Amino acid sequence: METIKTKSEPGAKRISLAGEKKMKLKELAEQLGWELKTPNVPVEAEVRTGYASDLLSDVLANSIEGDLWVTRQTHLNIVAIAVMRDLSGILLVNGAQPEPDTVEKAAEKMVPIFRTPLPTFEIVGRLYQLGIVGER
Amino acid sequence: MHILDVVQNSLAARATLVEVRIREDLQKDLLRIEVKDNGRGIPGELTRRVTDPFFTSRTTREVGLGLPLFKEAAERCRGHLEVESQEGQGTKIIAHFQLDHFDRAPLGDMGETLAVLITGNPEVDFLYEHEVDGQSYRLETREMREILGSVGLDDPSVLCFIRQDVQKGLKKIGAATFPKIMEVLK
Repeated sequence: METIKTKSEPGAKRISLAGEKKMKLKELAEQLGWELKTPNVPVEAEVRTGYASDLLSDVLANSIEGDLWVTRQTHLNIVAIAVMRDLSGILLVNGAQPEPDTVEKAAEKMVPIFRTPLPTFEIVGRLYQLGIVGER
Repeated sequence: MHILDVVQNSLAARATLVEVRIREDLQKDLLRIEVKDNGRGIPGELTRRVTDPFFTSRTTREVGLGLPLFKEAAERCRGHLEVESQEGQGTKIIAHFQLDHFDRAPLGDMGETLAVLITGNPEVDFLYEHEVDGQSYRLETREMREILGSVGLDDPSVLCFIRQDVQKGLKKIGAATFPKIMEVLK
């Protein structure tokens, strides 16, 4: 949910640009056509927020627990970040394929990894339409 | 990725010997990557400008965005990039990284990188040295040529050998690790 306030209008209303709601990872994947790269990892978790960044230190600093992380990075370290920040899952964009050791470790650590052919801007827009927000 | 790019610069500069040296210092938390060639080198004043993306991508064909991006990656990880070159003698690129920095991407599959470089350029000699806290792995095509005799470096069996030998060698010395990050993944 986006908050818009102006100084000239004290107490301006909080304007929601999206119909903020929770959705299961599984539903998001079905509706947006993602491929699950970790078939043995449960995807029943509910998601309310997301974060998009390819800089791992930035994700470490600014993601919040439960975020769905949208990134183009595919190496093993993304699993470490997801574990450290308790993220609900990782979505790889632009059709990027995770490295084999990334998938292996993600399966072990129960971090679901999805894949979409769409670029970040487009998939984040679609997630927002479905009610997943970036509010911190 | 960066290493492949930098070596490609060396090949474009018609190097006949490319030396890649990687050193991981776990105590000091440092990673040093050096690529040295005997190519035609960079003319004096241009050496300072090869890491400028606008300069390099516009005027010189053999140096693309590889060096500016390599420099950016090093600096993002509390390191820096050095370029030393002498026209007609060769070029040396040294990148320093904080080994354990979150934004430091893994080195990638060095076995694959070297296999592609060596078999794709059988007329060029390569030396690869990787040191982790005093333990080291080494691959040298000049030695391989002696052993192989009439078999060329572009033979498919050589590709296979390089890939496996590098992977095995690096594993043995504990190379390309992410100590801090790996603890989370244990």
